[in-house]
Amino acid sequence: MNLKDCHNFGDFRKLAKKKLPSPIFHYIDGAADDEITYARNTSAFDDVDLVPNVLRGVENVDLSTTIFGKKLDLPFYLAPTALQRLFHYDGERAVGKAAKKFNTMFGVSALATVSVEEISAMIDTPKMFQFYFHKDRGLNDSCLERAKAAKFDVMALTVDTITGGNRERDLRTGFTSPPKLTLSSLFSFATKPMWGINYLTKGKFELPHLQDFVKEGTSTNSSIGSYFSTMLDQSMNWKDAEKLCSQWGGHFALKGIMSVEDAKKAVDIGCTGIMVSNHGGRQLDGSRSPFDQLAEIVDAVGDKLDVICEGGIHRGTHMLKALSLGAKACSGGRLYLYALAAAGQAGVERALNQYKTELQRDMKLMGCTKISDLNRSNLRFRG
Amino acid sequence: MSLSNCYNFDDFRKLAKKKLPAPIFHYIDGGADDEVTMNRNTDSFNECDLIPNILNSVGEPDLKTEVFGTKMDMPIFLSPTAMQSLYHPDGDKASARAAEKFGTIYSMSTMASFSIEEIANLSSGPKIFQLYIHKDQSITNDLIDRCKRANFNGMCITVDTIVAGNRERDHRTGFTTPPKFTLDSLMSFAMRPQWVFNYFTHKKFELANLKDKVDKGTNIAQSVMGYINEQYDPAMNWKDAEYCIKKWDGPIALKGVMSIDDAKRAIDIGCTAIMISNHGGRQLDGSRSPFDQVKAIRDAVGDKLEVILDGGVRRGTHVLKALAAGATACSFGKAFLFSLGAGGQQGVERLLQNMHDEIRRNMILMGCKSIKDLDESKIIYRR
Repeated sequence: MNLKDCHNFGDFRKLAKKKLPSPIFHYIDGAADDEITYARNTSAFDDVDLVPNVLRGVENVDLSTTIFGKKLDLPFYLAPTALQRLFHYDGERAVGKAAKKFNTMFGVSALATVSVEEISAMIDTPKMFQFYFHKDRGLNDSCLERAKAAKFDVMALTVDTITGGNRERDLRTGFTSPPKLTLSSLFSFATKPMWGINYLTKGKFELPHLQDFVKEGTSTNSSIGSYFSTMLDQSMNWKDAEKLCSQWGGHFALKGIMSVEDAKKAVDIGCTGIMVSNHGGRQLDGSRSPFDQLAEIVDAVGDKLDVICEGGIHRGTHMLKALSLGAKACSGGRLYLYALAAAGQAGVERALNQYKTELQRDMKLMGCTKISDLNRSNLRFRG
Repeated sequence: MSLSNCYNFDDFRKLAKKKLPAPIFHYIDGGADDEVTMNRNTDSFNECDLIPNILNSVGEPDLKTEVFGTKMDMPIFLSPTAMQSLYHPDGDKASARAAEKFGTIYSMSTMASFSIEEIANLSSGPKIFQLYIHKDQSITNDLIDRCKRANFNGMCITVDTIVAGNRERDHRTGFTTPPKFTLDSLMSFAMRPQWVFNYFTHKKFELANLKDKVDKGTNIAQSVMGYINEQYDPAMNWKDAEYCIKKWDGPIALKGVMSIDDAKRAIDIGCTAIMISNHGGRQLDGSRSPFDQVKAIRDAVGDKLEVILDGGVRRGTHVLKALAAGATACSFGKAFLFSLGAGGQQGVERLLQNMHDEIRRNMILMGCKSIKDLDESKIIYRR
């Protein structure tokens, strides 16, 4: 199997599995507890059906949408994800360039393995910086100032990682960052020699946004769960978020909103967007899926800020369903991470191109020529 | 596989399967008829989603609650289960000590392998006694008097075993207590020499609370089902329950209530609590799951009863959902029996630690500071 055999999400996942040492693959592939929420994030889309309209003259389809004041050529973007150079040695460099090529937004994690300065020098298309609220206020200020200086367009504060999720696959594989070669994982690393060679020869693995402040995550082996639980400020509250929002002074989003009440509060503190997300099912298992919860949130705040549906998206039709319910855009992490692991920049580009082709095809089949044509009359819920 | 690899229900179950002779494993693992209700007990939690609130500066959540007039450090306790020394030679001693260590309730079955007095001497933690109403009223009276003298905190009367359930796995494996070594089961016992060794070198198997009253079940190979059918009073009615409640004159529950009418009637006869339970799906297959029924029962009884949800609970998030739907606390049998079979007291302690950590973590992720924050606003049923 190679890249040209990858036609959908499942194919990229398979190829990534072949290329990655198993602790790293399962770090991407796994979720919390029994992974019920993770599975529901995708299966939720199957409980609603699309109802197409015919004979509408659909030769030209415009997929562009505007979020956070930026026009994107696609109605979806690449959600910020941590540690990308573990998945492919080019990491954020590969993903950023692919995003630029398709003119969509690139989300950069606080736990990115390439710095905001380098990314900013590399791409001039829309960029989002994902922010974790650390106990160390100096670290917080530094992240904010650097992202501002690097002319990032959007700041997204993650609010659903107040403590680490119970990712049992990581417990079993012993996943840490940087990877620790234990006896149990050694075999898996040894059977993927290319990954190991690249990891050791293509530049030192580091977390440039954190390294001046902490040793965790850079020199010592630390699990993501323990990073969340020990370094992030668990007392974070609405006041802190409001302060950050005004300190940033630009487009500001909360990532990980699930309740209507919290969505309204996000409006009150000055957010211009929210990501309806459960962190890809990786935090609170049993929590509601973004798509299941989307309509209520759009009804409450959809006219006051940009509502983004994040999680579980594998297909163009999933995006059409979310957009029909009123999401301004969709986003996802696994959406492009398997493709990154499978083949770096070429992989991500192939994945983005497939989603784009699917969207164009399915818009035509739906009888729609622009994103704003999509509305709830396109949908029927089975229940 | 060892105890240190046990992170969840399935892990403990697997390890118990490895350690226990098949007839004994299947006695725990099996349910009635087609086991539809047994499976539904857990599956029903997956049709309800949690809605977290963010930015709540939760800090350290308070997991304490109170049932049977007893404070508990966590909102789940050990259900009464029969013949625990079949699963580990320490039996009830192991589970009582583990429960005490975690500040939660140990429940003793009428058919326990250690006596009321033995356990009372060994543990000063909270304890309740599970009472079967016998045909011979002097047995019932004696049990109640002894529990009073031994300072048990509460009592529950099991009302769903009026006749034995059809546990087909037990028919096939030839499960009896004490175990009968038939040709069929001999292989399975022979493969687990450690269990056999323990069984013959530890205290003789007996139903410690009954040995002076009945010779059945102690010295002849008789199945539990046979015991239930012979000794328990199928004519048991509300008057008999009321008699026991008056005689006990303390915190008391009916265990196995499923209908709203019966829950209301439990108030009338002086119960302080009910345990919504279908006996772990081991009695009436096709009966409703406790989680499917808990909200309706809570709505009907208001604050007049403590409502304990017993059945299907495997995860911290299951407990959170049960409490949000109206339960005062949860209890579990199967899950802790596997941990007992897997590792004795240490096994039960590991299970309780896992459960404590899951409840704590997920309370934080939910944005809940204490158990009373879990209300109906925190859950949405999918249909």
